[in-house]
This record gives sequence, C-alpha cells and structure tokens, in this order.
Amino acid sequence: MNIVVCVKQVPDTATERKLRSDDKTLDRDAADGVINELCEYAVEEALKIKEAHGGEVTVLTMGPSKATDTIRKALAMGADKAVHLVDDALHGSDALSTSYALAQTLKKIGFDLVILGSESTDARTGVLAAMLAERLGTPQLTLARKVDIDGSAVTIERVTDYGYDKVEASLPAVVSVVEKINEPRYPSFKGIMAAKKKPVETLGIADAEIAADQVGLASAWSEVVEFAAAPPRAAGTVVKDEGDGGAKAAEFLASKKFI
Amino acid sequence: MDFSLPESAQAVQRGIAGICSRYGMDYWERCETEKRWPEEVWAELAKGGWLGLAVPEEYGGAGQGLLELAVATETLSASGSAGGSAFTYVLTPGFGAMTLARHGTAAQKAELLPKLATGEIETCFALTEPDAGSNSLAISTFARQDGGEFVVNGQKIWITGVQRATWMLLVTRTIPAAEARPRANGMTVFLVNVPEAVAAGQLSYRPISKMGANTTPSNMVFIDELRVPAENVVGELHGGAVVLWDILNPERILLGASALGGAEVALRVGVNYAKEREVFGRPIGSNQAIAFPLAQVKAKIELARLMLYKAAWAFDNRLPCGTEANIAKLTASQAAWEAADAAFQTHGGMAYSLEYPVARLLTDARIGKIAPVTEELLLNYLATQVLGLPRSF
Ligand SMILES: Cc1cc2nc3c(=O)[nH]c(=O)nc-3n(C[C@H](O)[C@H](O)[C@H](O)COP(=O)(O)OP(=O)(O)OC[C@H]3O[C@@H](n4cnc5c(N)ncnc54)[C@H](O)[C@@H]3O)c2cc1C
Ligand SMILES: Cc1cc2nc3c(=O)[nH]c(=O)nc-3n(C[C@H](O)[C@H](O)[C@H](O)COP(=O)(O)OP(=O)(O)OC[C@H]3O[C@@H](n4cnc5c(N)ncnc54)[C@H](O)[C@@H]3O)c2cc1C
Repeated sequence: MNIVVCVKQVPDTATERKLRSDDKTLDRDAADGVINELCEYAVEEALKIKEAHGGEVTVLTMGPSKATDTIRKALAMGADKAVHLVDDALHGSDALSTSYALAQTLKKIGFDLVILGSESTDARTGVLAAMLAERLGTPQLTLARKVDIDGSAVTIERVTDYGYDKVEASLPAVVSVVEKINEPRYPSFKGIMAAKKKPVETLGIADAEIAADQVGLASAWSEVVEFAAAPPRAAGTVVKDEGDGGAKAAEFLASKKFI
Repeated sequence: MDFSLPESAQAVQRGIAGICSRYGMDYWERCETEKRWPEEVWAELAKGGWLGLAVPEEYGGAGQGLLELAVATETLSASGSAGGSAFTYVLTPGFGAMTLARHGTAAQKAELLPKLATGEIETCFALTEPDAGSNSLAISTFARQDGGEFVVNGQKIWITGVQRATWMLLVTRTIPAAEARPRANGMTVFLVNVPEAVAAGQLSYRPISKMGANTTPSNMVFIDELRVPAENVVGELHGGAVVLWDILNPERILLGASALGGAEVALRVGVNYAKEREVFGRPIGSNQAIAFPLAQVKAKIELARLMLYKAAWAFDNRLPCGTEANIAKLTASQAAWEAADAAFQTHGGMAYSLEYPVARLLTDARIGKIAPVTEELLLNYLATQVLGLPRSF
C-alpha cells in the first residue's frame, strides 16, 4: 500500500511566535521549526499500517527549505522517503491554495491512503483533510481515533462530542487523526542515522503542475487586515465569602451567561 | 582541525533530547524523592537502541564508541536529570557493554552483548572496598583457584545498581597486594551472575542510605565462598589491571559527561532566575556579583566539554587517554559544583526551599568531587604522572 503522510512544519509552541509586519504572514524564520504534533501521530499511524499490511510510507511537506529538519524527523521515525514541495511562489498560501498545491502533488506522486493530522498548532484551521479529499475526489474520514484497513476498505472511529461514529469507505481515501489514536515512537539511533540517506525529492510548483496564480499571498481568499498583541488580562472579580459566597459566585456566572 | 561532532554523536544528541523532552525536571525530581529507577525513560532508551550504542553491530548494537556514550550521558543529564541519570545510564551501556566489547571472550560477547544492547540484562561494577577506595590496588577480595573454578571471599562497598544487575564485573586479587610485583599485577576481573550467587547464599548486599543519586541504590556487598567458573574471567588471569583501566577511564569520562550535563542544568536554572527575580527594582542578574559567577561557569563548561570529547575521542582511537580523562573529570566536576553553587547563591533563600530544584542540583554536583575518583587523586595523577613531582604516598 502506498501511504502518503502530509507533514507540516510549525513554529515551536514553546517559543515566542510572531507575524511579519510587512505582509502579515507568519514569521517562520523567527521561531524554531518543529514537526506539527498531530503529524507525528499521522506518521506513527502510517508506520503501523505499513508494518501490518506492507507497502511504503512517503512524507509530503509543503514549506520553506528549513522544513527539511521536520522531514528528516519523520524519516527518522521510519518513513521511507519524502517529497518536499518548496517554492517562493507558495509563500502566504491560505488553506484553499495549500489544499490545491498538496492535491496537485498527490496526484503526481500517487497514493492509496493519505493521512493528515486533524489540525496544525499554528493556523489551526483543521480543514485541510476535508479540502484535500474534495480536490482528490476521494472519501474523507476525519478525526480518527482508530483506523483499520481490510483489503480495499478503510474503517475509522471518528471522534464526536458524544462518543464515536464508525465510518467506512473504500481506498483511495484521506484520513485525519487525533492524538488518541496512538503513541508516536521516538526516532531510534538507527532511524536517525538512516534518515540522512533516505531520498527526499524536492519539487517546485512547475514540477507539480501547480498554477502560479492559484497559490501564494496574492491569490489567498482570506486576508489578514490587522493584528495586535492580545491585551493583558484585566484583574478578575474577587468574591468574598461572607456566608453568601456560593450565591454570589452563581450570580456572577449567570451575569456572564455561563449558567 | 575539525571541532564539529560527528554525525553519529549529533544523532545521539537529537535522539536522546527527543526522548527527554517528554520527561522534564519534575519527572527526575519525583524519581529521586520516590527513590525509584526511571523505568519510563529506561524503556524508551532500550526501545530506541540507545543502550546498545557501544555494542558492535554484529551483536545487535549500534557499533559506536565512548564519544557517543558520553554525548548520550551528557544530554540525559542536561535535560534535567543532572545526577539522576548518571548511574542509570553508565552501569550497563558503559561498564557492561563497553568492557565486554573490548575485553570479553568470544563466548562472553556472544552470550551477553546482544542482551546488553537491548537492556534485557544489566550490569554493575564492584571495585571499592571498605579499606580500599582511592588506593584501589590495595583491595583484598581474593579469588583462589580450585580446579576449573575460582572461590572468592571479600567485601565491597558503594556498589551501585546490584539490585537490577544480572552480571557483576567483580574486581579481585589473585595475587595478594603485598606480594604483587609490580603492584598492579595479580588483579583479576570476573563476571559474576548476581541472582545465582545470591540464590546460592554466596553473595549478599545491603543498600546504603545516601544523600542523593537515589534513582540507583548503592550497596555493601558481602562475598562468601563465591564459586565462579574460570571461563568467567574477563581479560587475563592476574592481568585484570588492563581491563580495569579500560573501565576506569571511560567511567571518568562518562561521569564527567554527566557532571557537564548537570552543570548545564544548574546554569540554566540560575540564569533564568537571575533574569526573572527583581530586587531593588531590577533583575538581580544585572548585578555583576550575580552575573559573573554564572558567566565564569559558562566558560568552564565549554572548556571541560572540549577536554571531555577529546578524551573520549582518544579512547575510541585507542590512544593513551589517562591524562585527558582525568583533566576532563576534574574540570567537569568542578564546573558542575560551581554551577550549582552559583545557581544556589542566585536563588537567595529560595535555594534552600525544596520547592526549587537547586538543592537537588547541589547535592548531585557534590558527588562528582568524590566519585568515582576523588578530586585529590586526580590532582595526584597530574602532579606525579604528568608533572613528574615526587609522590606523597
Ligand atoms: C496565524 C495564522 C492564521 C491563519 N489564518 C488563516 C485563515 O483564517 N484562513 C486561511 O485560509 N488560511 C489561514 N492561514 C494560512 C495557513 O497557514 C494555511 O492555510 C495552512 O496551510 C492551512 O493549514 P492549517 O495549518 O490550518 O491546516 P490544518 O487543517 O489545521 O492542518 C491539518 C493537517 O494538514 C496537513 N498540512 C497542513 N499544512 C501542510 C503543509 N504545508 N504541508 C503538508 N501538510 C500540511 C498536516 O497533516 C496537518 O496536521 C493562517 C496562518 C497562520 C499562521
Ligand atoms: C554514590 C556513590 C556511588 C559509587 N558507586 C560505586 C560503584 O558502583 N562501584 C565501585 O566500585 N565504587 C563505587 N563508589 C565508590 C567510589 O569510587 C569511592 O568512594 C571513591 O573512589 C573514593 O574512595 P573512598 O570512599 O574509599 O575514599 P578514601 O580513599 O577513603 O578517601 C578519603 C579522602 O582522603 C583523600 N585522600 C586519600 N588519599 C590521598 C592522597 N594520597 N592524597 C590526597 N588526598 C588523599 C581522598 O581524596 C578523600 O578526600 C561509589 C561512591 C559513591 C559515593
């Protein structure tokens, strides 16, 4: 089975993250790039499926050249090879154009199963799996906490507010995973050493037949008009308990429409 | 000259740091207070092949050397464990695996190395005796030959990790110290199966209540008519000193690496507090009295690291490394102690509160000036062996 895992490099949540003042996009140079946490779960799931059913795991990343660190991390976990989509023209792409660029690349490299994280820690739109499935014309199985493959059928347990839904589809398909699904492995010594020698194919937009006028900041459907630092937190309301603390707390919550 | 770490050592840094990122200072703090082995980290180290770094590839290891082990030890300690991970990591991948890889017989290697590489079995190292610590050639634990076996009697102290060890590297005399010419002659190292010896009533141990490093207990060990087959000799009969030096030099380098990691943690903790804590309306770190000791420590850490890597490189290339190992151990332990002391002073009264990690860092750092070799003995070595000064003893 040919499994492709979409892996995003995101700024480390432990460091200060900034937007650029010139074009109001994320300042990716200012922060350390790390693998998006849910993408580690996606890689782990792909490796498990490969271990059980055979096949090959390819990492697909769209991102600046420094995203190679993230690609190596995924390869060190055990993925077989990678495709790195990198082009200045992609800078500032929104979710729509990102899904278009990834879909074009996926059509070119081929796949039976595409696995994504359900959300990134930087933009957090959580829409890419759905958009990708639509563009590829495949079933979408999102928010999976469990994935089973049986022949050409894929079944997931999709997390819902009340429990889970069992969703079944046929391959090829797009799956997104949540953190309940597994425990991502740490790269081993051999994995890290081997990752250096695994093939990483670098594609530009022309290579993936991506139209320049459908990606990048200029063609984004949404625009960041203004941004500002979150205001410092105002001092809270102190409720002094003089025997009526419970009532006062309830009153406060009711005034804020919490209860 | 190329000072960059080889890719293998960089891979070690990255891999170990990856594991440690999920186990912070709090985790090690808990292990220390609960006096428990860091099972979770150990399991991850085993799974990732990090315990078999120095085991040759033909025996299922990664085929690396002391440099990679030292970087692993340093990275573990620097992640927040400080001294907590020192013995955890050094006993098996260091004492056991490295020693057997270099000095084990074909049969010993084939039987033990694959299991040491995966962490299936563990080892400990028994040299020190109540009457022979710094003067290790004066040990009196004696092994007398009896047909195809040796019969050992004696007592050891401070032996760390006996509880988990399947095999003990036991250092004995097969010629009494008083009769040995030269004095280093007549030492023999044995592999002793600990559970079997305990079951046979030939070996027993009792933990010592100690001030720190409680993730791994240290013990008094009593050896009574212990029978060891002759094929369990490591190296040559009477020629154990050769093996011993290949344990002691790596031990100094590895525990030096742990000290270095501990120094890094203490420096980080001290610097953070110096930036945050405001007294007289400004961060205390803006006072040079606070800043300079931290800056000094930074300089000493970097110097010690250079010597440490050089020593490990020399060992891996089978060059003489005694001087380098001793200087590395001396300076790294001093850096650790000074870092902990500077962090302590920087924390003011809070340093004394067990809510902060500084007290543990200070305790951990203190041991480096004593074990596995005291600062005085390191200086003795430099004075007599390197500078050619007359001996005082
Ligand atoms: C602060 C901020 C706000 C933004 N707001 C918007 C907005 O409101 N609307 C908008 O359209 N765009 C927005 N963007 C742009 C956004 O970065 C891109 O649209 C992005 O590619 C969409 O993905 P996501 O990270 O939100 O995807 P999600 O759907 O949250 O990510 C899910 C999964 O998709 C995969 N994936 C995502 N990106 C990549 C990639 N580059 N390469 C490979 N796999 C990937 C990963 O598997 C990931 O786990 C914003 C960006 C930032 C930094
Ligand atoms: C936590 C811990 C774990 C240990 N783990 C192990 C282990 O696993 N296996 C093992 O075999 N051992 C272990 N040891 C023992 C350790 O190696 C010894 O404690 C160390 O070598 C010092 O020996 P000693 O305690 O006998 O001190 P002594 O030799 O009694 O020294 C006492 C003091 O006298 C000084 N001194 C002695 N001679 C001279 C001299 N000529 N000139 C100047 N000063 C001198 C010393 O420097 C020291 O300050 C451990 C010790 C500790 C504390």
